[in-house]
Amino acid sequence: MASQRQYAATPAMASGNAEDVAASISAFLASKHVPPTQAWMNGFMSTIRLNTPIVALQKTALFRLLATDITTSITKSPASCFAANITDPQVKEKHVRGPITVQVLDIEDIGRSRWSQVEAIEAQERGETTKGREVIRVVPDENSSDAATQTESKSSGPHKLLLQDAYGMHVYAMELTPINGVGVQMAIGAKLVLKDFIVARGVLLLEPRNVEMLGGKADTWDKKWREDRKKVLKEKAA
Amino acid sequence: MVTKVLCVAEKPSIAKAVANHLAGGQVQTRNIQGNPYVKNYEFSYNFPTWGQCNVTMTSVLGHLLSHDFDAQYKSWRSCDPSALFEAHIETFVEDDKKAVAENIKQQARYNRVLYIWTDCDREGENIGTEIRSVASQGNPSFRQPGNTVRARFSNIERAHIINAARSPVQLDEAQSNAVSSRIELDLRIGASFTRNLTMSLRPMIQEHTGEERSQVISYGSCQFPTLGFVVERYIRVRNFVPETFWGIKVMHEKDRIKVSFNWARNHLFDRMAVVILFERCLTARTARVTKVQTKPTSKWKPLPLTTVELQKCGSRFLRLDSQRVMQVAEQLYQKGWISYPRTETDQFDRGMDLQGLVQKQTQGGPWAQFAQGLMNGGFSQPRSGRNNDKAHPPIHPVNFVVPASLSQEEQRVHEFVVRRFLACCSHDARGSKTEINLLYGFEVFSTSGLVVLERNFLDVYPYDKWTSSQDLPDFREGQVFEPTEARMYEGQTSPPGYLTEPELIALMDANGIGTDATMAEHIAKIKTRDYVQTRPRARQQRREGEEEEYEPGEAAEPDVGRGRGRGRGRARARGGRGGANGRGGGAISGVQEFIPTTLGVALVEGYENMGFETSLTKPFLRKEMELRMKAICEGRKTKAEVVHESIEQYRDVYIRTQQRLDSLRAAVRKYVFQEDG
Repeated sequence: MASQRQYAATPAMASGNAEDVAASISAFLASKHVPPTQAWMNGFMSTIRLNTPIVALQKTALFRLLATDITTSITKSPASCFAANITDPQVKEKHVRGPITVQVLDIEDIGRSRWSQVEAIEAQERGETTKGREVIRVVPDENSSDAATQTESKSSGPHKLLLQDAYGMHVYAMELTPINGVGVQMAIGAKLVLKDFIVARGVLLLEPRNVEMLGGKADTWDKKWREDRKKVLKEKAA
Repeated sequence: MVTKVLCVAEKPSIAKAVANHLAGGQVQTRNIQGNPYVKNYEFSYNFPTWGQCNVTMTSVLGHLLSHDFDAQYKSWRSCDPSALFEAHIETFVEDDKKAVAENIKQQARYNRVLYIWTDCDREGENIGTEIRSVASQGNPSFRQPGNTVRARFSNIERAHIINAARSPVQLDEAQSNAVSSRIELDLRIGASFTRNLTMSLRPMIQEHTGEERSQVISYGSCQFPTLGFVVERYIRVRNFVPETFWGIKVMHEKDRIKVSFNWARNHLFDRMAVVILFERCLTARTARVTKVQTKPTSKWKPLPLTTVELQKCGSRFLRLDSQRVMQVAEQLYQKGWISYPRTETDQFDRGMDLQGLVQKQTQGGPWAQFAQGLMNGGFSQPRSGRNNDKAHPPIHPVNFVVPASLSQEEQRVHEFVVRRFLACCSHDARGSKTEINLLYGFEVFSTSGLVVLERNFLDVYPYDKWTSSQDLPDFREGQVFEPTEARMYEGQTSPPGYLTEPELIALMDANGIGTDATMAEHIAKIKTRDYVQTRPRARQQRREGEEEEYEPGEAAEPDVGRGRGRGRGRARARGGRGGANGRGGGAISGVQEFIPTTLGVALVEGYENMGFETSLTKPFLRKEMELRMKAICEGRKTKAEVVHESIEQYRDVYIRTQQRLDSLRAAVRKYVFQEDG
């Protein structure tokens, strides 16, 4: 087959043996810190053709797994989840080795006022950001002393995240320095792997070196989040 | 045979000035029949093109021709407003201009050459073609290309005028066509929408108020977007929800100086986050200096002056609204003191003799000494901006005039123009800036100090401020210390202010509506139509780090870094102009802000609610029209094409608004009648 050339370096064409294939895929997913449950694997295996190249199967499995809710789709263990007392505000500082896999339930830009974010959404709804129809509302003034407020409305971050581990535990996290891929445009339900991080007063403090972005998304959650966003921001502002 | 030349200017004052310059004083003045303002000046002059000539110089009074629909469409009840998109337009001479036109026609008969001396902008080009068409009725030979020419001039200074007279050019038909298309579009679109709007709303308003006033609710394709900006800002201010934010302040006292450091994150809107970060700072206990950098810095001198800048500065510094500023500037131009005040150019041509102009200002006025300083070696070539309309240079003083011989308002505007020009020809102000960065816990803090070493242009231009900050104590990189004070503080966001005139002008400029010549008119229109009102802005509490604004009547204060007091926050005697002397919440600053009337809000909201496609209150429709007119000037589109395209666009909008008039009526009920729901 022509596709064989692309995979020449890897050993495995699927051998056709369901067990072996499943084991190989599970191992791959585990290496990515998203070890699947048996139930999920069964479901997945029923949808594939066994003679597909193994690397393709692995990639497909990862892609689909990243679109799920990890509280049901991956195996749980104390080592891969948060300790029960992690959110304790009495504890000034704690170091966690990880790796812990989490999904993003909510994200907030705490560097900008919520009201300015509402105004930005409304401007977009009015069509003022459409190409050819842009309306400039704030003109930077050479002599303006208002540089602080102006830059504020454009700033991005730092961001505060609501994360959930495989046990379903909710934990807040904050970006200490900007992390690539983290922002209000990121997908809700995206999966992250956290390593070697500090927890201060129950809040995770994250830097780029702590975070591996796996990606993924939870479609229904993401859609709802975006629909509700303006309303939620307004409520928080008031 | 002596050639006879007929020169026609746009205004009587220009005709008189040009005649006197060319004739060297030997002018015979004749009245004309039917109008006391226009005169015919007769003299002889030797033009390189035609040799010795007998010249008659006269003028018109702005546009000579008017345009309106044929009689059958004039009455509002005569047709459906949308018929006006196609109705025939007739061109005629208005009654009050008949004497002026007659004079042109008559004089045309005796002359072989028609020499147009209207102001050199688009409107002037259009008036020039109007003059040609009227003159051709008396002398058809003017229609031939060689027999009508045009003078190219930017100010009324003698040498400049004589130079212009000797190098005539052709009328720019493209520019004239652009104006014609604008006139036609404004007429068709303005009339059809105004009639529709008024007839839809007036009955319900009259019924509600019980008055029989024939109030017209007018529409203009530029006024509405201008109104749109005012209303949008008003609503933003009204809907604003203040939010609390938290920040960290670090202060350290060293060498008896208290230094405040600013948090790199400025402030955050989540209290818990700030508490956590603050605690980590305190846990770290000491801060480390990560950067100490002193480097030269400068405050740039201003760019050469354009119309938009003049209007903005007029509002901010001279207490004159944009319309008044332009009127006064026009007077100064006609008297020959400044160059043509309608220009987009913010760069001086390399060949211009700027030093000569500076020299003229050494003769007197409060800036004489500074001008002398420039002549003695302080001169520096002005900065160049990015705009050049290729028609006129930036606004600058053309001659010296004793300020006392001008009216109060003329003095203010003239002084601004002179100071701005001299500032352009100075050096940038120079200083030294020290920046210090700290790492405290995980957080970065910084502070900076400024020492102003050379004020340069600031000495003649009090409208910009740049003052030395307090001295900073010595810090060394790597130094570690425990800050004297570190604390969390809380603050609240506050709403923006209502739009001021300079802001409105800036928005119109940035969004491409109105040209430099018309912006002030549109602003004046929405005031006279009662869509907006103005009121003085109450001065708000000074926020941290805000610069003080220039107040007229204050002497420029040199402050070369002596002493501890900061530039801001010092008590100062204020000039007597319009306001209390106190500091703080109640003082009036004198800048006008725009508040829409209930009718203004209803119109904007009504149209907004009709949907995205019908945004008459958004700038893009007008902006596209302006771009099309530019295309005519540049020869890329014809007048017919542009009129057709714009009419189709607006016709579309017209049909849609017809279908959704209820939205407009609902808005009027809500805002004007104050009914709920």
